[in-house]
Amino acid sequence: MPMVLLQCDKDIPEREKHIYLKVDGEDSRDYLPVANASTIPGTLSERGCAFCGAKLVIGGVLKDTIQMIHGPIGCAYDTWHTKRYPSDNGHFQMKYVWSTDMKESHIVFGGEKRLEKSMHEAFDEMPEIKRMIVYTTCPTALIGDDIKAVAKKVMEARPDVDIFTCECPGFAGVSQSKGHHVLNIGWVNEKVGTVEPEITSKYTMNFIGDYNIQGDSELLQQYWDKLGIQVIAHFTGNANYDDLRSMHRAQLNVVNCARSAGYIANELKKKYGIPRLDIDSWGFNYMAEGIRKISAFFGIEEKGEALIAEEYAKWKPKLDWYKERLRGTKMAIWTGGPRLWHWTKSVEDDLGVQVVAMSSKFGHQEDFEKVIARGQAGTYYIDDGNELEFFEIIDLVKPDVIFTGPRVGELVKKLHIPYVNGHAYHNGPYMGFEGFVNLARDMYNAIYNPLLKLAATDPRGALTTPAKEAAE
Amino acid sequence: MTPEKIDQLFDYVQERCLWQFFSRAWDREENIDGILKAAAALLTGQPPALETPMDRLFYADAKVMVSDLRERFPWIEDSGAAQIRDLLHGLKDKLTDFTITRSLNHELNHTLY
Ligand code: SF4
Repeated sequence: MPMVLLQCDKDIPEREKHIYLKVDGEDSRDYLPVANASTIPGTLSERGCAFCGAKLVIGGVLKDTIQMIHGPIGCAYDTWHTKRYPSDNGHFQMKYVWSTDMKESHIVFGGEKRLEKSMHEAFDEMPEIKRMIVYTTCPTALIGDDIKAVAKKVMEARPDVDIFTCECPGFAGVSQSKGHHVLNIGWVNEKVGTVEPEITSKYTMNFIGDYNIQGDSELLQQYWDKLGIQVIAHFTGNANYDDLRSMHRAQLNVVNCARSAGYIANELKKKYGIPRLDIDSWGFNYMAEGIRKISAFFGIEEKGEALIAEEYAKWKPKLDWYKERLRGTKMAIWTGGPRLWHWTKSVEDDLGVQVVAMSSKFGHQEDFEKVIARGQAGTYYIDDGNELEFFEIIDLVKPDVIFTGPRVGELVKKLHIPYVNGHAYHNGPYMGFEGFVNLARDMYNAIYNPLLKLAATDPRGALTTPAKEAAE
Repeated sequence: MTPEKIDQLFDYVQERCLWQFFSRAWDREENIDGILKAAAALLTGQPPALETPMDRLFYADAKVMVSDLRERFPWIEDSGAAQIRDLLHGLKDKLTDFTITRSLNHELNHTLY
């Protein structure tokens, strides 16, 4: 009985299809959680909306682009500040947020004029910025505002600007995942091939599915510079809009996050014949493997080995210091999807950590195939987990640390279980060799933090003011 | 050729190789065919094909795999060319069964990405 019906789900038995307990001798041909399916009524999902997947995850990372959100103000704030993706130009994309701030009268009479005005206003206010992405949201999609037509009009009025439109309102799919898809496919169809890059190296690649979270892309860029590989486009960490229009000229697509950006790699292979190489950029062992594969593709193996040796010499003793202290730690990973399979074996091999439960918000079955193949028996694999399930799983597996987002993080903090931000990191970057030492440090600091014990001590004792539950 | 040896190779691929889990059935098939062919060449001392970008991709994946297999399974060095080909054939069948034929992944045969 490897599919599990938790006690808290007794009234929503459909949830059994989403929770898997791996048992020795079974595999994903026998059981595979249902994923990328509509949230079941009665379950309080932790998912974000489809618009969020396009804007917060991918488009909003660009460092030279106005992100015009055509909708009520809340859509803008919800997708602005929670991800920490800096850039080397002073973090333009994190300092500003743009919205058409739709109100009732605009919904009643149509929002196209307001959108056009807002776009001009934004370009006028920021004359050095010439690129824009316009997003629809639920209300503006429902009233049928034609954002493509407005974008065309604005581009005609301003010949020096380029605008991409992303029509992916919150309700367009079951989770953020739909937004990743719409942006990937729209971009490759409309924008790739419209700019010719300057080629400065014999070796060129795109690095796809890395969003410069706390500097990931900038850290990895040091490796590519040492190897003499020109990255034509980072999709989309620390990237410029026009870099992504030149993706067709790379010789190789290296994919880290296959969930949010595998689509564009597949399309680039189909349309332009560029091979797709999937790697894991978190973990020593995996990063070294990724560098070896990229170097083998370009025939520069010696350079690759020299880089790995240099990085190991610098960082491996530090990693091992943490490994000694983290060995046997029980970890839960409750993030979007891919970090489950990127991390489960890397923390096990590199840090001696055991992953006892994993939950994915927007992973597809492909992600579960990967994580079940890599993860341990006795571990829970959950699709679209909810709060009550988290409580029950915590009781079942008793994790020492949980890597998750700030919302669930607040919840587990109240249980006095250490939490590390698994989306935006505590003190990243986490990718690459140096990054994995940062991850180990944050895990160590979380587990050994004496404040947790203090927070669990209630000095009021019997004097505590009783609080009534609604049902009492 | 023994089923135990094929199982060892299979367990390694399941744990380490993302190429077996590409988005669609045809991508998975292309990877399994291409990488195992390049691995067979490397393990039997033949020059691997390096003409096209896809050849170089398969070579890159196969090179890492072969070096890991040699390290983890010393018996592979003592296997003759015919035995290697049989082993990889068995591995290919098992991978195809797991990741394509009997995979429960509903998206494998969507015509679009
Ligand atoms: S669900 Fe719709 S209204 Fe809500 S934030 Fe997403 S796009 Fe905006």
